[in-house]
Amino acid sequence: MTEIKKWATHFFSNQVSIYPLVTFRIIFGLMMCYSTLRFINKGWVTDLYVTPKFYFTYYGFDWVKPLNEEGMYFLFYLMVALSIFIAFGLFYRFSAISFFIIFTYVELIDKTNYLNHYYFVSLISFLLVFLPANKYFSLDSYFKICKSHLQVPAWSINSIKLQIIIVYVFAGIAKLNSHWLLDAQPLINWLKHQSDIPIIGGLLTYDFTAYLFSWGGALFDLFIIFFLIHKKTRIAAYGLIILFHVLTAIMFPIGVFPLVMIFSTLIFFSSHFHQSIVQLISKITLKSRSTVIHHFPQYVNSSFLYKILFGIYFTLQLLLPVRYLLYPGKLFWTEQGYRFSWRVMLIEKAGYSQFYVHEAKEDRKLAIDNRVYLTKQQIKMMSTQPDMILQYAQYLSEEYKDSTFIESNGEVISLGKEPKITAKVEVSLFNQGSKPFIDKNVNLTKEKRGFNHKSWILPYEN
Amino acid sequence: MISGACLLKKMKKSYLLNTPLVLLFLLSLTACQKRGCTDPNALNYDASAVKDDDNCEYEQFDKQGLLQNLNNNYIIPSYTAYKSAVLTLDSKVDDFVQNPTDSNLISLRAQWHEALLTWQDVAFLNFGPSDYILMVSQTNTFPVDTMLIDSSINDGNWNFDYTSYYDAKGFQALDYLLNKKGKSDTEISQDFATSENKKLYIKDISSDLLNNINYVLDEWTSYSTDFMEDYESNADGSAVSNVVNALCKHYEFYVRRGKVGLPLGVFNGFSQQEMPHLVECYHYGQSLPFAIRAVHSIQQFINGNSYSTNEDGIGLEDYMDFVNAQYNGENLSIATNNQFQLIKDNLSQLNDPLSNEILTNKVNVSNAYENMQQLVPLIKVDMTSALGVLITYQDNDGD
Repeated sequence: MTEIKKWATHFFSNQVSIYPLVTFRIIFGLMMCYSTLRFINKGWVTDLYVTPKFYFTYYGFDWVKPLNEEGMYFLFYLMVALSIFIAFGLFYRFSAISFFIIFTYVELIDKTNYLNHYYFVSLISFLLVFLPANKYFSLDSYFKICKSHLQVPAWSINSIKLQIIIVYVFAGIAKLNSHWLLDAQPLINWLKHQSDIPIIGGLLTYDFTAYLFSWGGALFDLFIIFFLIHKKTRIAAYGLIILFHVLTAIMFPIGVFPLVMIFSTLIFFSSHFHQSIVQLISKITLKSRSTVIHHFPQYVNSSFLYKILFGIYFTLQLLLPVRYLLYPGKLFWTEQGYRFSWRVMLIEKAGYSQFYVHEAKEDRKLAIDNRVYLTKQQIKMMSTQPDMILQYAQYLSEEYKDSTFIESNGEVISLGKEPKITAKVEVSLFNQGSKPFIDKNVNLTKEKRGFNHKSWILPYEN
Repeated sequence: MISGACLLKKMKKSYLLNTPLVLLFLLSLTACQKRGCTDPNALNYDASAVKDDDNCEYEQFDKQGLLQNLNNNYIIPSYTAYKSAVLTLDSKVDDFVQNPTDSNLISLRAQWHEALLTWQDVAFLNFGPSDYILMVSQTNTFPVDTMLIDSSINDGNWNFDYTSYYDAKGFQALDYLLNKKGKSDTEISQDFATSENKKLYIKDISSDLLNNINYVLDEWTSYSTDFMEDYESNADGSAVSNVVNALCKHYEFYVRRGKVGLPLGVFNGFSQQEMPHLVECYHYGQSLPFAIRAVHSIQQFINGNSYSTNEDGIGLEDYMDFVNAQYNGENLSIATNNQFQLIKDNLSQLNDPLSNEILTNKVNVSNAYENMQQLVPLIKVDMTSALGVLITYQDNDGD
């Protein structure tokens, strides 16, 4: 019992140096500033949040709607400002809360744009709200908006570490499947398109290389963090982290994800390391000869409420990635319980979908052109993901309800309250040939959305 | 297959050394014994090997070679052939306009038929210069707006630069003017002899066709340099991606839908009434040769065949084999080619006029359409996925 108590004190309420938290705050703020500007610059605000007519909301979050064009751009520029505020530690708590809310709101608008690294950013910015990252080397402390502290409770740094551990380890566990390990899928396919990369390009066409990368990637994700925690292997492990993420950045269009991971993992370095970074920054920017170390009071916030809150948070983090076990069928095929689980670069899937609206009398059907309602990217994502297929079908049913058609032969056809919608969907997984994905006769209008198993997904046949 | 334990052990051992290159070196030295590559297509095929070790080495796929082959042996020769067909068409129009006799009409019509067949060979190259000027819409939109054609000729007033004239010019306007249903050849040539506006109109159509192909071929000369150099990725906007997207889109919307689906009534509301007047070359009464040629050209292009000699070169088909794309237990390239053949066979068994066949032999036309439909997922899902075209759009983590 005392052992546990000692352990808990060590990881939770012990006072530790604030420096790692300070550099993390600065780096995170700057990275978010860069990635938000990059997002705006690529025109994605318009492409993803203005152009679409229909948005694939998350179940339970149907009330989340995008603002108009000016509104969306305002939010993105606001995020740029807030991320700078976070970096400088100005009105920190307010900035962190606002950034978390806006970022998460934008992510909730359309699941077409779901990316694990956006999820990671949401989680980190949520955690930052509760962390005393502005208590030192910040404008808040400089202007005496808040009290300054050099020592913070261990939980404030450990919660970020734990979150990063969860990302890597679950990403590693997700790779422990027969496709990844035994067939080197999907890397074996993807690497073949990369044969023109200088120097390593030639190696990438060998099957052997795909196996090396698959196994290496799985082992890397599973164990790298433990080498990073261990002081003796830390430098080498961090070298591997840089190598690994730079390699993935060269080979795949994964945006700022490698950057985020390379910089976030710095948190595992010692407080001396972070102290020297902070001193370096202050030397360059403030031109001050040396930082004067004052004796600040201890920052104590290890309240019972925080313990409970973090307990719940991390329990959820541990449960979400394994919730797929509650569903029957093949995860990569049905994708039930797939998101929010750190499954990165795991599957290669493509689909083709043709939807039909039916009239009640003779069950004749009208072919739908998806391009009328969805963007290219939405069609692509929807065609392989059952929850999105269902959402789109119900949107079509809503669009066509109570409408009247005059046919070319003069016949008048009226659709009722809930027009039947069916879809013929063909999906190819790992380039093994497209196969029927869902029951083409099922009336999708009548199927319920939600977390229940979707029995109309056809079983995967290899 | 390298046994899991065997590989894991080696990985861990060298992992401590922390350098992947050493790992690579160690692994290549200590390959498990009595196994080898059992794929006869591989470079290191080992006839004595019993169990496959997943270490087959293949020739690297020559993506630059693919683009060079497509450009040098298909795109440029086909555009050149189409240009010369249109040049001849233009001179035949001149002959006919100067001397509107029956025999000149027949000769012009034969060249029109030939040029429209050649158009099918280039129509799906709808990217780059061809896409800038919307060549497909400018060249062969159907059905044509016969009222607009008639009134323009009547008023002596038209402007082919306007998009509103896209369905009043091109090959299908020529179909209407040269093959008008219910009129004999003599009546048609007589109409031209008595109408200067009609002569000017038809002359403008052929000049317009010629201007477009001149522009596209000129532009291609500079565009092709970038095109052939753009082999490093298959991301959105790259050469391979442009080719594949253009080809899939053209097949899906202009060939499957336009040439067969629409007239068959597949897209006509709930009742799916046939719309025979929507067939290509409605007045001419022959649609099938053009449909068959369109399907055939796309197939040739995918196979990387030379336009002039039909010799097999590096094509998208070889790329599919390179990544070992499968379909129902066979190579995707074979499945795709079989589907193309099936469609060509189906269409060959139908009789022109297609507008009539749709009404009298709907079962067979529908059957042909179904097979055309089946090709869509094969090229749009399986082929694009095999070529890695789909995985690259915006930021992506592969899910």
